[in-house]
Amino acid sequence: MSPSIALSNEVFRIFAVLTTSLLVIGGIIIAVVRYGFHKDVTHAWDSYRGWLVMIPVISISLFAGRAVAICFFSVIAILAFTEYARATGLHRNLVMMFTSLAGIVGIAVVVLFGDSRNGGFDNYGLFMSIPVFVSAALLLASIVQNRPEGQLKAIALSLFGFLYIGWMFGHVSFLANARNSYGYLLYLLFAVELNDVAAFVCGKLFGRRPLCTNVSPWKTREGALGAVIISALFPLAVRFALPDFSIVECIIAGLIVGVGGHLGDLSISVIKRDVGVKDMGTLIRGHGGVLDRIDSLLYSAPLFFHFARYSHGL
Amino acid sequence: MDCNRSNIADWSYETAEDSGLRFIDRLKRCPREPDPLVYAARLLSALVIRGWLKTYNRLEISGRENLPNSGPFVLVANHSSHLDAVALMSALPLRSLHRTYPVAAKDYFCANRRRVLPAAIVANAMFFDRNESAEHSLKLCRELLEDRNEVLIVFPEGTRTVDGRVGLFRRGVGQLLAGTEYPAIPCYIGGTFKSWPKGSRLPRPARVKLSIGEARTYKSVAPDSLGVLRVCADLQNAVIALGAVSGRESVRSFSQEAYQ
Repeated sequence: MSPSIALSNEVFRIFAVLTTSLLVIGGIIIAVVRYGFHKDVTHAWDSYRGWLVMIPVISISLFAGRAVAICFFSVIAILAFTEYARATGLHRNLVMMFTSLAGIVGIAVVVLFGDSRNGGFDNYGLFMSIPVFVSAALLLASIVQNRPEGQLKAIALSLFGFLYIGWMFGHVSFLANARNSYGYLLYLLFAVELNDVAAFVCGKLFGRRPLCTNVSPWKTREGALGAVIISALFPLAVRFALPDFSIVECIIAGLIVGVGGHLGDLSISVIKRDVGVKDMGTLIRGHGGVLDRIDSLLYSAPLFFHFARYSHGL
Repeated sequence: MDCNRSNIADWSYETAEDSGLRFIDRLKRCPREPDPLVYAARLLSALVIRGWLKTYNRLEISGRENLPNSGPFVLVANHSSHLDAVALMSALPLRSLHRTYPVAAKDYFCANRRRVLPAAIVANAMFFDRNESAEHSLKLCRELLEDRNEVLIVFPEGTRTVDGRVGLFRRGVGQLLAGTEYPAIPCYIGGTFKSWPKGSRLPRPARVKLSIGEARTYKSVAPDSLGVLRVCADLQNAVIALGAVSGRESVRSFSQEAYQ
Protein backbone atom coordinates (compact mmCIF):
# COMPACT_ATOMS: atom_id res chain seq x y z
CA MET A 1 0.00 0.00 0.00
CA SER A 2 1.29 3.42 -1.01
CA PRO A 3 -0.13 6.45 -2.82
CA SER A 4 1.23 5.36 -6.19
CA ILE A 5 -0.09 1.81 -5.81
CA ALA A 6 -3.45 3.19 -4.65
CA LEU A 7 -3.73 5.32 -7.79
CA SER A 8 -3.03 2.38 -10.08
CA ASN A 9 -5.18 0.00 -8.04
CA GLU A 10 -8.50 -0.67 -9.70
CA VAL A 11 -10.27 -1.61 -6.45
CA PHE A 12 -9.22 1.62 -4.72
CA ARG A 13 -10.28 3.75 -7.67
CA ILE A 14 -13.68 2.08 -8.00
CA PHE A 15 -14.40 2.40 -4.28
CA ALA A 16 -13.27 6.03 -4.32
CA VAL A 17 -15.71 6.79 -7.13
CA LEU A 18 -18.42 4.73 -5.43
CA THR A 19 -18.19 6.47 -2.05
CA THR A 20 -17.88 9.92 -3.62
CA SER A 21 -20.97 9.37 -5.75
CA LEU A 22 -22.88 7.96 -2.76
CA LEU A 23 -21.98 11.06 -0.76
CA VAL A 24 -23.15 13.30 -3.60
CA ILE A 25 -26.38 11.33 -4.07
CA GLY A 26 -27.01 11.35 -0.33
CA GLY A 27 -26.50 15.09 -0.22
CA ILE A 28 -28.87 15.62 -3.13
CA ILE A 29 -31.55 13.43 -1.52
CA ILE A 30 -31.30 15.34 1.76
CA ALA A 31 -31.43 18.66 -0.08
CA VAL A 32 -34.50 17.55 -2.07
CA VAL A 33 -36.33 16.34 1.02
CA ARG A 34 -35.44 19.51 2.88
CA TYR A 35 -36.15 22.14 0.23
CA GLY A 36 -38.51 20.23 -2.07
CA PHE A 37 -40.79 18.61 0.50
CA HIS A 38 -40.03 20.92 3.45
CA LYS A 39 -39.50 18.03 5.82
CA ASP A 40 -37.34 18.09 8.93
CA VAL A 41 -34.02 16.47 8.06
CA THR A 42 -31.98 17.48 11.14
CA HIS A 43 -31.26 13.89 12.11
CA ALA A 44 -30.29 12.77 8.61
CA TRP A 45 -28.21 15.91 8.10
CA ASP A 46 -26.28 15.35 11.36
CA SER A 47 -25.50 11.82 10.34
CA TYR A 48 -24.60 12.88 6.79
CA ARG A 49 -22.29 15.56 8.10
CA GLY A 50 -20.51 12.90 10.13
CA TRP A 51 -19.93 10.90 6.96
CA LEU A 52 -18.70 14.00 5.15
CA VAL A 53 -15.81 14.05 7.62
CA MET A 54 -15.31 10.32 8.15
CA ILE A 55 -15.14 9.19 4.52
CA PRO A 56 -12.38 11.62 3.49
CA VAL A 57 -10.38 10.85 6.64
CA ILE A 58 -10.59 7.08 6.06
CA SER A 59 -9.89 7.41 2.33
CA ILE A 60 -6.87 9.64 2.84
CA SER A 61 -5.35 7.37 5.47
CA LEU A 62 -5.81 4.32 3.24
CA PHE A 63 -4.47 6.26 0.24
CA ALA A 64 -1.39 7.44 2.15
CA GLY A 65 -0.10 3.93 2.53
CA ARG A 66 0.30 0.97 4.85
CA ALA A 67 2.03 2.72 7.76
CA VAL A 68 -0.41 5.62 7.85
CA ALA A 69 -3.38 3.27 7.62
CA ILE A 70 -2.10 1.12 10.50
CA CYS A 71 -1.42 4.21 12.64
CA PHE A 72 -4.88 5.54 11.80
CA PHE A 73 -6.57 2.31 12.88
CA SER A 74 -4.52 2.32 16.08
CA VAL A 75 -5.59 5.87 16.90
CA ILE A 76 -9.20 4.80 16.35
CA ALA A 77 -8.66 1.86 18.71
CA ILE A 78 -7.12 4.12 21.36
CA LEU A 79 -10.00 6.60 21.14
CA ALA A 80 -12.54 3.76 21.30
CA PHE A 81 -10.80 2.18 24.28
CA THR A 82 -10.78 5.52 26.09
CA GLU A 83 -14.52 5.85 25.52
CA TYR A 84 -15.08 2.36 26.88
CA ALA A 85 -12.92 3.17 29.90
CA ARG A 86 -14.82 6.39 30.58
CA ALA A 87 -18.10 4.50 30.45
CA THR A 88 -17.00 1.75 32.83
CA GLY A 89 -15.03 3.98 35.21
CA LEU A 90 -11.74 2.31 34.32
CA HIS A 91 -10.34 5.69 33.26
CA ARG A 92 -9.64 6.60 36.87
CA ASN A 93 -7.13 3.75 37.15
CA LEU A 94 -4.34 5.33 35.16
CA VAL A 95 -1.88 2.47 35.51
CA MET A 96 -4.33 -0.02 33.99
CA MET A 97 -5.27 2.52 31.35
CA PHE A 98 -1.72 3.11 30.22
CA THR A 99 -0.93 -0.63 30.31
CA SER A 100 -3.89 -1.41 28.04
CA LEU A 101 -3.10 1.49 25.73
CA ALA A 102 0.50 0.29 25.57
CA GLY A 103 -0.91 -3.06 24.44
CA ILE A 104 -2.78 -1.30 21.63
CA VAL A 105 0.41 0.50 20.61
CA GLY A 106 2.15 -2.88 20.78
CA ILE A 107 -0.35 -4.28 18.29
CA ALA A 108 0.42 -1.41 15.95
CA VAL A 109 4.14 -2.07 16.25
CA VAL A 110 3.75 -5.80 15.61
CA VAL A 111 1.54 -5.19 12.59
CA LEU A 112 3.71 -2.40 11.28
CA PHE A 113 7.10 -4.07 11.46
CA GLY A 114 6.12 -7.59 10.60
CA ASP A 115 5.62 -7.40 6.88
CA SER A 116 6.75 -10.90 6.00
CA ARG A 117 6.43 -10.43 2.25
CA ASN A 118 8.85 -7.50 2.28
CA GLY A 119 11.51 -9.23 4.30
CA GLY A 120 10.09 -8.54 7.80
CA PHE A 121 9.47 -11.30 10.31
CA ASP A 122 6.33 -13.40 10.19
CA ASN A 123 4.20 -11.55 12.73
CA TYR A 124 1.01 -13.63 12.60
CA GLY A 125 1.99 -15.83 15.56
CA LEU A 126 3.09 -12.85 17.64
CA PHE A 127 -0.06 -10.92 16.77
CA MET A 128 -2.23 -13.83 17.88
CA SER A 129 -0.36 -14.21 21.18
CA ILE A 130 -0.46 -10.52 22.19
CA PRO A 131 -3.30 -11.09 24.73
CA VAL A 132 -0.98 -13.40 26.69
CA PHE A 133 1.52 -10.62 27.17
CA VAL A 134 -1.12 -8.02 27.96
CA SER A 135 -2.71 -10.28 30.63
CA ALA A 136 0.71 -10.72 32.17
CA ALA A 137 1.43 -7.00 32.00
CA LEU A 138 -1.87 -6.09 33.66
CA LEU A 139 -1.21 -8.46 36.56
CA LEU A 140 2.33 -7.15 36.76
CA ALA A 141 0.94 -3.63 37.04
CA SER A 142 -1.00 -4.65 40.16
CA ILE A 143 2.03 -6.38 41.64
CA VAL A 144 4.32 -3.43 41.04
CA GLN A 145 1.80 -1.11 42.68
CA ASN A 146 1.60 -3.54 45.62
CA ARG A 147 -2.16 -3.07 45.69
CA PRO A 148 -4.63 -5.97 45.68
CA GLU A 149 -7.87 -4.07 46.42
CA GLY A 150 -10.24 -3.84 43.48
CA GLN A 151 -7.58 -5.09 41.10
CA LEU A 152 -9.49 -8.05 39.69
CA LYS A 153 -12.25 -5.73 38.54
CA ALA A 154 -9.74 -3.35 36.99
CA ILE A 155 -7.84 -6.18 35.32
CA ALA A 156 -11.06 -7.76 34.05
CA LEU A 157 -12.30 -4.47 32.61
CA SER A 158 -8.93 -3.66 31.04
CA LEU A 159 -8.36 -7.10 29.61
CA PHE A 160 -11.83 -7.34 28.10
CA GLY A 161 -11.54 -3.85 26.69
CA PHE A 162 -8.15 -4.63 25.23
CA LEU A 163 -9.29 -7.93 23.72
CA TYR A 164 -12.48 -6.58 22.26
CA ILE A 165 -11.47 -3.09 21.20
CA GLY A 166 -7.72 -3.25 20.86
CA TRP A 167 -7.03 -6.72 19.60
CA MET A 168 -10.17 -7.59 17.65
CA PHE A 169 -10.06 -4.21 15.95
CA GLY A 170 -6.35 -4.80 15.42
CA HIS A 171 -7.33 -7.43 12.85
CA VAL A 172 -8.39 -4.57 10.59
CA SER A 173 -4.86 -3.14 10.80
CA PHE A 174 -3.45 -6.57 10.01
CA LEU A 175 -5.47 -6.69 6.79
CA ALA A 176 -3.30 -3.78 5.58
CA ASN A 177 -0.47 -6.32 5.27
CA ALA A 178 -2.48 -8.60 2.99
CA ARG A 179 -1.64 -9.09 -0.68
CA ASN A 180 -5.10 -7.83 -1.61
CA SER A 181 -5.13 -5.21 1.15
CA TYR A 182 -7.25 -2.63 -0.68
CA GLY A 183 -9.81 -5.24 -1.67
CA TYR A 184 -10.14 -6.73 1.81
CA LEU A 185 -10.11 -3.43 3.72
CA LEU A 186 -12.41 -1.51 1.42
CA TYR A 187 -14.82 -4.42 1.08
CA LEU A 188 -14.93 -4.91 4.85
CA LEU A 189 -15.38 -1.24 5.76
CA PHE A 190 -17.94 -0.63 3.03
CA ALA A 191 -19.89 -3.84 3.67
CA VAL A 192 -20.12 -3.22 7.40
CA GLU A 193 -21.50 0.28 6.90
CA LEU A 194 -23.84 -0.95 4.17
CA ASN A 195 -25.09 -3.58 6.59
CA ASP A 196 -25.85 -0.91 9.20
CA VAL A 197 -27.67 1.27 6.69
CA ALA A 198 -29.57 -1.73 5.27
CA ALA A 199 -30.69 -2.79 8.75
CA PHE A 200 -31.93 0.74 9.44
CA VAL A 201 -33.77 1.06 6.13
CA CYS A 202 -35.29 -2.47 6.21
CA GLY A 203 -36.30 -1.93 9.81
CA LYS A 204 -38.06 1.35 8.90
CA LEU A 205 -39.81 -0.23 5.91
CA PHE A 206 -40.78 -3.69 7.15
CA GLY A 207 -39.98 -3.73 10.86
CA ARG A 208 -42.72 -5.34 12.95
CA ARG A 209 -41.34 -7.81 15.45
CA PRO A 210 -38.58 -6.74 17.85
CA LEU A 211 -35.28 -8.61 17.77
CA CYS A 212 -33.77 -8.27 21.20
CA THR A 213 -35.84 -5.79 23.21
CA ASN A 214 -33.81 -5.58 26.41
CA VAL A 215 -30.55 -5.00 24.62
CA SER A 216 -31.60 -2.75 21.78
CA PRO A 217 -35.26 -1.77 21.67
CA TRP A 218 -35.37 -0.42 18.10
CA LYS A 219 -33.89 -3.39 16.26
CA THR A 220 -36.40 -5.56 14.42
CA ARG A 221 -36.17 -9.09 13.05
CA GLU A 222 -37.27 -7.90 9.62
CA GLY A 223 -34.55 -5.25 9.58
CA ALA A 224 -31.89 -7.76 10.60
CA LEU A 225 -33.05 -10.36 8.07
CA GLY A 226 -33.18 -7.84 5.25
CA ALA A 227 -29.73 -6.56 6.09
CA VAL A 228 -28.27 -10.06 6.25
CA ILE A 229 -29.71 -10.85 2.80
CA ILE A 230 -28.37 -7.62 1.30
CA SER A 231 -24.99 -8.16 2.94
CA ALA A 232 -24.82 -11.77 1.70
CA LEU A 233 -25.43 -10.61 -1.88
CA PHE A 234 -23.20 -7.54 -1.74
CA PRO A 235 -19.85 -9.35 -2.33
CA LEU A 236 -21.27 -10.72 -5.59
CA ALA A 237 -21.75 -7.13 -6.73
CA VAL A 238 -18.16 -6.20 -5.85
CA ARG A 239 -16.38 -9.37 -6.94
CA PHE A 240 -13.55 -7.26 -8.35
CA ALA A 241 -12.59 -6.53 -4.74
CA LEU A 242 -12.40 -10.21 -3.81
CA PRO A 243 -10.97 -11.72 -7.02
CA ASP A 244 -9.89 -15.07 -5.53
CA PHE A 245 -13.22 -15.80 -3.89
CA SER A 246 -15.63 -18.29 -5.45
CA ILE A 247 -19.36 -17.54 -5.42
CA VAL A 248 -19.91 -19.62 -2.28
CA GLU A 249 -16.99 -17.95 -0.56
CA CYS A 250 -18.37 -14.55 -1.52
CA ILE A 251 -21.70 -15.40 0.08
CA ILE A 252 -19.97 -16.66 3.21
CA ALA A 253 -17.93 -13.43 3.40
CA GLY A 254 -21.20 -11.51 3.05
CA LEU A 255 -22.91 -13.55 5.77
CA ILE A 256 -19.94 -12.96 8.09
CA VAL A 257 -20.39 -9.22 7.73
CA GLY A 258 -24.20 -9.41 7.89
CA VAL A 259 -24.42 -11.57 11.00
CA GLY A 260 -21.21 -10.35 12.62
CA GLY A 261 -22.20 -6.73 12.11
CA HIS A 262 -25.46 -7.21 13.97
CA LEU A 263 -23.84 -9.15 16.76
CA GLY A 264 -21.20 -6.45 17.13
CA ASP A 265 -23.85 -3.77 17.30
CA LEU A 266 -25.77 -5.73 19.95
CA SER A 267 -22.57 -6.47 21.89
CA ILE A 268 -21.81 -2.81 22.40
CA SER A 269 -25.49 -2.30 23.26
CA VAL A 270 -25.14 -4.94 26.00
CA ILE A 271 -22.23 -3.00 27.49
CA LYS A 272 -24.04 0.33 27.14
CA ARG A 273 -27.22 -0.98 28.78
CA ASP A 274 -25.35 -2.61 31.63
CA VAL A 275 -23.27 0.49 32.32
CA GLY A 276 -26.24 2.78 31.73
CA VAL A 277 -25.02 5.21 29.11
CA LYS A 278 -26.80 6.18 25.92
CA ASP A 279 -23.77 6.73 23.70
CA MET A 280 -20.19 5.77 24.30
CA GLY A 281 -18.90 9.22 23.35
CA THR A 282 -19.53 12.46 21.53
CA LEU A 283 -16.64 12.69 19.10
CA ILE A 284 -18.60 12.20 15.87
CA ARG A 285 -21.59 14.48 15.77
CA GLY A 286 -24.71 12.61 14.71
CA HIS A 287 -23.12 9.23 15.36
CA GLY A 288 -22.17 9.28 19.03
CA GLY A 289 -18.70 8.08 19.87
CA VAL A 290 -16.03 6.27 17.90
CA LEU A 291 -17.04 3.04 19.59
CA ASP A 292 -20.66 3.47 18.50
CA ARG A 293 -19.44 3.80 14.94
CA ILE A 294 -17.04 0.84 14.82
CA ASP A 295 -19.16 -1.55 16.90
CA SER A 296 -20.18 -3.72 13.94
CA LEU A 297 -16.62 -3.79 12.64
CA LEU A 298 -15.24 -5.10 15.94
CA TYR A 299 -17.16 -8.34 15.59
CA SER A 300 -16.94 -8.96 11.88
CA ALA A 301 -13.28 -7.99 11.33
CA PRO A 302 -11.69 -11.03 13.04
CA LEU A 303 -14.25 -13.39 11.47
CA PHE A 304 -13.57 -12.02 8.00
CA PHE A 305 -9.83 -11.97 8.65
CA HIS A 306 -9.68 -15.63 9.56
CA PHE A 307 -12.02 -16.64 6.77
CA ALA A 308 -9.89 -14.83 4.19
CA ARG A 309 -6.68 -16.16 5.67
CA TYR A 310 -8.00 -19.72 5.87
CA SER A 311 -9.39 -19.81 2.37
CA HIS A 312 -6.72 -17.90 0.44
CA GLY A 313 -3.91 -16.82 2.74
CA LEU A 314 -3.27 -13.18 3.35
CA MET B 1 -26.83 -19.63 43.63
CA ASP B 2 -29.01 -16.57 44.13
CA CYS B 3 -26.33 -15.10 46.29
CA ASN B 4 -23.72 -15.55 43.59
CA ARG B 5 -25.94 -14.02 41.00
CA SER B 6 -26.61 -10.90 43.02
CA ASN B 7 -22.89 -10.48 43.63
CA ILE B 8 -22.19 -10.47 39.93
CA ALA B 9 -25.04 -8.05 39.27
CA ASP B 10 -23.86 -5.77 42.07
CA TRP B 11 -20.68 -4.94 40.22
CA SER B 12 -21.13 -1.22 39.75
CA TYR B 13 -19.52 1.08 37.22
CA GLU B 14 -18.45 4.59 38.05
CA THR B 15 -19.13 6.14 34.66
CA ALA B 16 -17.37 9.42 33.97
CA GLU B 17 -19.46 12.25 35.40
CA ASP B 18 -18.99 14.34 32.27
CA SER B 19 -20.13 11.55 29.96
CA GLY B 20 -22.29 12.92 27.15
CA LEU B 21 -20.45 16.25 27.02
CA ARG B 22 -18.34 17.21 24.05
CA PHE B 23 -14.57 17.22 24.50
CA ILE B 24 -14.32 21.01 24.65
CA ASP B 25 -17.06 21.23 27.28
CA ARG B 26 -15.37 18.53 29.33
CA LEU B 27 -12.24 20.65 29.39
CA LYS B 28 -14.16 23.63 30.77
CA ARG B 29 -15.28 21.66 33.81
CA CYS B 30 -13.33 21.34 37.01
CA PRO B 31 -12.29 18.98 38.48
CA ARG B 32 -11.96 17.16 35.18
CA GLU B 33 -12.23 13.41 34.75
CA PRO B 34 -8.81 11.91 34.06
CA ASP B 35 -8.17 11.42 30.36
CA PRO B 36 -5.04 9.46 29.45
CA LEU B 37 -4.60 11.35 26.19
CA VAL B 38 -4.86 14.76 27.87
CA TYR B 39 -2.47 13.59 30.59
CA ALA B 40 0.04 12.43 28.01
CA ALA B 41 -0.22 15.73 26.12
CA ARG B 42 0.17 17.71 29.33
CA LEU B 43 3.21 15.74 30.42
CA LEU B 44 4.83 16.15 27.04
CA SER B 45 4.15 19.89 26.94
CA ALA B 46 5.39 20.28 30.53
CA LEU B 47 8.72 18.72 29.55
CA VAL B 48 9.00 20.99 26.52
CA ILE B 49 8.00 24.10 28.50
CA ARG B 50 10.47 23.34 31.31
CA GLY B 51 13.26 23.01 28.79
CA TRP B 52 12.14 26.11 26.96
CA LEU B 53 11.93 28.30 30.09
CA LYS B 54 15.31 27.10 31.26
CA THR B 55 17.08 27.87 27.99
CA TYR B 56 15.13 30.66 26.32
CA ASN B 57 14.16 32.57 29.47
CA ARG B 58 17.01 31.25 31.67
CA LEU B 59 14.45 30.63 34.43
CA GLU B 60 15.98 30.86 37.87
CA ILE B 61 14.07 29.54 40.86
CA SER B 62 15.01 30.43 44.44
CA GLY B 63 13.36 29.24 47.63
CA ARG B 64 12.27 25.84 46.33
CA GLU B 65 12.76 24.44 49.83
CA ASN B 66 9.71 26.45 50.94
CA LEU B 67 7.39 24.25 48.90
CA PRO B 68 5.55 21.55 50.89
CA ASN B 69 6.03 17.99 49.66
CA SER B 70 2.36 17.45 48.95
CA GLY B 71 -0.91 19.32 48.74
CA PRO B 72 -3.07 20.97 49.76
CA PHE B 73 -1.39 24.33 49.42
CA VAL B 74 -1.89 27.59 47.54
CA LEU B 75 0.74 29.41 45.52
CA VAL B 76 0.03 33.15 45.50
CA ALA B 77 1.87 35.21 42.91
CA ASN B 78 1.88 38.48 41.01
CA HIS B 79 0.61 38.26 37.45
CA SER B 80 2.00 39.97 34.39
CA SER B 81 2.07 37.33 31.67
CA HIS B 82 0.78 34.00 30.44
CA LEU B 83 4.22 32.68 31.32
CA ASP B 84 3.52 33.08 35.04
CA ALA B 85 1.37 29.98 35.44
CA VAL B 86 3.71 27.67 33.53
CA ALA B 87 6.76 29.14 35.29
CA LEU B 88 5.17 28.41 38.67
CA MET B 89 4.15 24.93 37.54
CA SER B 90 7.72 24.16 36.52
CA ALA B 91 8.84 24.87 40.08
CA LEU B 92 6.70 21.92 41.23
CA PRO B 93 7.70 18.29 40.68
CA LEU B 94 6.29 16.52 37.63
CA ARG B 95 4.31 14.06 39.72
CA SER B 96 2.01 16.85 40.93
CA LEU B 97 1.51 18.16 37.39
CA HIS B 98 -2.08 16.94 37.05
CA ARG B 99 -2.90 17.98 40.61
CA THR B 100 -1.95 21.63 40.19
CA TYR B 101 -4.66 24.03 39.10
CA PRO B 102 -3.84 27.60 38.09
CA VAL B 103 -7.01 29.57 38.77
CA ALA B 104 -7.88 31.33 35.50
CA ALA B 105 -10.55 33.81 34.51
CA LYS B 106 -13.48 32.00 32.94
CA ASP B 107 -14.73 34.96 30.90
CA TYR B 108 -11.30 35.35 29.27
CA PHE B 109 -10.16 31.75 28.77
CA CYS B 110 -13.50 30.16 27.91
CA ALA B 111 -14.20 32.83 25.29
CA ASN B 112 -12.89 30.69 22.45
CA ARG B 113 -11.30 27.37 21.65
CA ARG B 114 -7.85 28.80 21.03
CA ARG B 115 -7.74 29.76 24.70
CA VAL B 116 -9.62 26.86 26.29
CA LEU B 117 -7.49 24.11 24.72
CA PRO B 118 -4.04 25.30 25.84
CA ALA B 119 -5.30 26.56 29.21
CA ALA B 120 -7.00 23.26 30.08
CA ILE B 121 -4.64 20.80 28.43
CA VAL B 122 -1.25 22.42 29.02
CA ALA B 123 -1.84 24.35 32.23
CA ASN B 124 -4.68 22.29 33.76
CA ALA B 125 -6.47 25.57 34.50
CA MET B 126 -9.43 25.80 36.81
CA PHE B 127 -11.81 28.32 35.28
CA PHE B 128 -12.96 30.84 37.86
CA ASP B 129 -16.06 32.88 37.28
CA ARG B 130 -15.11 36.46 38.15
CA ASN B 131 -18.65 37.73 37.83
CA GLU B 132 -22.00 36.29 38.89
CA SER B 133 -21.12 32.92 40.37
CA ALA B 134 -17.83 33.86 42.01
CA GLU B 135 -19.19 32.35 45.21
CA HIS B 136 -19.67 29.02 43.45
CA SER B 137 -16.18 29.09 41.98
CA LEU B 138 -14.73 29.90 45.36
CA LYS B 139 -16.53 26.90 46.81
CA LEU B 140 -15.03 24.74 44.09
CA CYS B 141 -11.55 25.99 45.01
CA ARG B 142 -12.18 25.04 48.63
CA GLU B 143 -13.35 21.59 47.56
CA LEU B 144 -10.19 21.07 45.53
CA LEU B 145 -8.10 21.85 48.62
CA GLU B 146 -10.31 20.15 51.17
CA ASP B 147 -11.44 16.94 49.47
CA ARG B 148 -8.74 16.28 46.91
CA ASN B 149 -5.58 17.80 48.48
CA GLU B 150 -4.76 19.60 45.24
CA VAL B 151 -2.45 22.55 44.64
CA LEU B 152 -3.90 25.89 43.56
CA ILE B 153 -2.04 28.69 41.82
CA VAL B 154 -3.77 31.99 42.47
CA PHE B 155 -3.07 35.40 40.96
CA PRO B 156 -5.00 37.64 43.35
CA GLU B 157 -4.65 40.71 41.14
CA GLY B 158 -7.27 39.04 39.00
CA THR B 159 -5.68 40.13 35.74
CA ARG B 160 -2.33 40.65 34.09
CA THR B 161 -0.64 43.92 35.03
CA VAL B 162 -0.33 46.48 32.26
CA ASP B 163 2.72 48.34 33.60
CA GLY B 164 4.76 45.59 35.26
CA ARG B 165 3.94 46.72 38.78
CA VAL B 166 2.18 44.60 41.37
CA GLY B 167 -1.46 45.60 41.48
CA LEU B 168 -4.10 45.51 44.19
CA PHE B 169 -4.82 42.03 45.58
CA ARG B 170 -8.53 41.25 45.26
CA ARG B 171 -10.54 39.79 48.09
CA GLY B 172 -11.05 36.30 46.60
CA VAL B 173 -7.77 34.97 47.91
CA GLY B 174 -8.58 36.30 51.37
CA GLN B 175 -12.01 34.67 51.32
CA LEU B 176 -10.36 31.43 50.29
CA LEU B 177 -7.68 31.44 52.98
CA ALA B 178 -9.00 33.35 56.02
CA GLY B 179 -9.66 30.98 58.92
CA THR B 180 -8.22 27.92 57.16
CA GLU B 181 -5.00 26.02 57.71
CA TYR B 182 -3.97 25.62 54.09
CA PRO B 183 -0.42 26.86 53.63
CA ALA B 184 -0.24 29.91 51.36
CA ILE B 185 3.09 30.39 49.65
CA PRO B 186 3.83 33.88 48.33
CA CYS B 187 5.84 33.91 45.11
CA TYR B 188 7.27 36.75 43.07
CA ILE B 189 7.86 36.32 39.36
CA GLY B 190 10.07 38.91 37.71
CA GLY B 191 10.93 39.23 34.06
CA THR B 192 7.83 37.70 32.54
CA PHE B 193 6.49 41.19 31.95
CA LYS B 194 9.56 41.98 29.87
CA SER B 195 9.38 38.63 28.13
CA TRP B 196 5.71 38.35 27.24
CA PRO B 197 3.48 41.22 28.43
CA LYS B 198 -0.21 41.52 27.81
CA GLY B 199 -0.87 42.20 24.15
CA SER B 200 2.44 40.99 22.77
CA ARG B 201 2.35 38.10 20.36
CA LEU B 202 5.44 36.04 21.07
CA PRO B 203 7.65 35.77 24.16
CA ARG B 204 11.05 37.46 24.02
CA PRO B 205 14.14 35.88 25.60
CA ALA B 206 14.15 37.96 28.77
CA ARG B 207 15.56 36.48 31.96
CA VAL B 208 12.83 35.20 34.32
CA LYS B 209 13.34 34.92 38.05
CA LEU B 210 10.97 33.15 40.43
CA SER B 211 11.32 33.67 44.18
CA ILE B 212 9.34 31.41 46.47
CA GLY B 213 8.67 32.71 49.97
CA GLU B 214 7.96 31.00 53.25
CA ALA B 215 4.58 29.40 53.75
CA ARG B 216 2.08 31.13 56.00
CA THR B 217 -1.33 30.10 57.32
CA TYR B 218 -4.30 32.20 58.37
CA LYS B 219 -5.97 29.88 60.86
CA SER B 220 -6.32 32.61 63.47
CA VAL B 221 -7.72 35.23 61.09
CA ALA B 222 -11.48 35.56 61.35
CA PRO B 223 -13.19 34.92 58.00
CA ASP B 224 -15.04 38.25 58.08
CA SER B 225 -14.49 41.21 55.78
CA LEU B 226 -11.72 42.68 57.96
CA GLY B 227 -9.92 39.34 58.15
CA VAL B 228 -10.19 38.91 54.41
CA LEU B 229 -8.54 42.27 53.86
CA ARG B 230 -5.81 41.42 56.36
CA VAL B 231 -4.99 38.23 54.50
CA CYS B 232 -4.88 40.13 51.21
CA ALA B 233 -2.63 42.82 52.64
CA ASP B 234 -0.29 40.31 54.24
CA LEU B 235 0.08 38.30 51.04
CA GLN B 236 0.52 41.41 48.94
CA ASN B 237 3.26 42.67 51.24
CA ALA B 238 4.94 39.28 51.21
CA VAL B 239 4.93 39.13 47.40
CA ILE B 240 6.21 42.68 47.10
CA ALA B 241 8.92 42.00 49.68
CA LEU B 242 10.08 38.98 47.71
CA GLY B 243 10.25 41.17 44.61
CA ALA B 244 12.25 43.81 46.45
CA VAL B 245 14.74 41.22 47.70
CA SER B 246 15.16 39.86 44.21
CA GLY B 247 16.15 43.39 43.19
CA ARG B 248 13.50 44.44 40.76
CA GLU B 249 13.09 48.15 40.56
CA SER B 250 9.66 47.82 39.01
CA VAL B 251 8.31 46.67 42.37
CA ARG B 252 6.73 49.47 44.31
CA SER B 253 4.84 49.04 47.50
CA PHE B 254 1.16 49.60 47.06
CA SER B 255 -0.59 52.26 49.06
CA GLN B 256 -2.24 50.71 52.10
CA GLU B 257 -5.01 53.29 52.03
CA ALA B 258 -6.96 51.01 49.78
CA TYR B 259 -7.60 48.71 52.72
CA GLN B 260 -8.78 51.29 55.20
